[in-house]
Amino acid sequence: MMDEKDREIIQLLQDKFPLVSEPYKEIGDKIWMDEVSVISRIARMIQDGAIRHFGPFFDSKKLGYIGCLAAVNVPSDRVEAVAAVINKFDEVTHNYLREGVPNLWFTVIARSAERREEIFAQIKKEAQIDEIMTFSSKRTFKVRVNV
Amino acid sequence: MDSKTKKVLSELQDGFKLETKPFTRIAKELNITEEEVIDIIKNSLDSGIVRRIGLAVRPEKVGYEENALIAWQVSQDKVEEVGEDLAKMNEISHCYERECPPNWSYNLFTMVHAKTEQDLEQLIEDIKSKHNLSNFKVYRTQKEFKKTSMRYFND
Repeated sequence: MMDEKDREIIQLLQDKFPLVSEPYKEIGDKIWMDEVSVISRIARMIQDGAIRHFGPFFDSKKLGYIGCLAAVNVPSDRVEAVAAVINKFDEVTHNYLREGVPNLWFTVIARSAERREEIFAQIKKEAQIDEIMTFSSKRTFKVRVNV
Repeated sequence: MDSKTKKVLSELQDGFKLETKPFTRIAKELNITEEEVIDIIKNSLDSGIVRRIGLAVRPEKVGYEENALIAWQVSQDKVEEVGEDLAKMNEISHCYERECPPNWSYNLFTMVHAKTEQDLEQLIEDIKSKHNLSNFKVYRTQKEFKKTSMRYFND
């Protein structure tokens, strides 16, 4: 379980990792904790799964990649199998089963539009899906993965 | 992107190793100075290649059990105002205007995180009444099949 100090560390590290020689010492100084304790708390939260990623977050567009949200509607008895096909691609970063129609939602980050279409075509073929709905972003108002 | 930048970002893409002096170690490995490593990271933040450096939590592990994708139908003349306002909410982690397929009319996509079912319902009510939105779809998260960070640099 997380305590108050864990929450303070998360708050401090959410988007401002100190770009100094001894970053954990700087964090520790702010919350009256030595750097070894800061590091071991972060290690524990990574181990627990509370922290999913700890490092840089890249802007895929600026790196020349094309991101896209996609959705398919799959009968419940085929969800696991279809999800497994979708998950095989390194370019698929998120894949969620959701209540509603369509029910399987995933994101693709591809090097090019051609590669993206290739991924969709392969998913359709291998998972025997007729239609993939695609929702490419027009405008980003917010992207923060750190509630 | 120059080769030094590529090497530094590549070194960091899988996340920080938990060590007291991360940049000193990277500098040694790449045979450059620690100042150079830090400058490269700062420049990548300035140019926007790196959006931020820090951590991402799993909402459901930190008390946010009710997570939903909610897509709203917002008219073109209001989408900027509504999008910017929803982006300010702590409970909303992602907010995009998206291109929609022909048979789909919900153009503003939000990821909403709440501690309880009741909180989620309340949030939806608040957004509905504040922005006068009546058409929307709620897709509650049932199961996570995959959630990773993209690896942009190949070793």
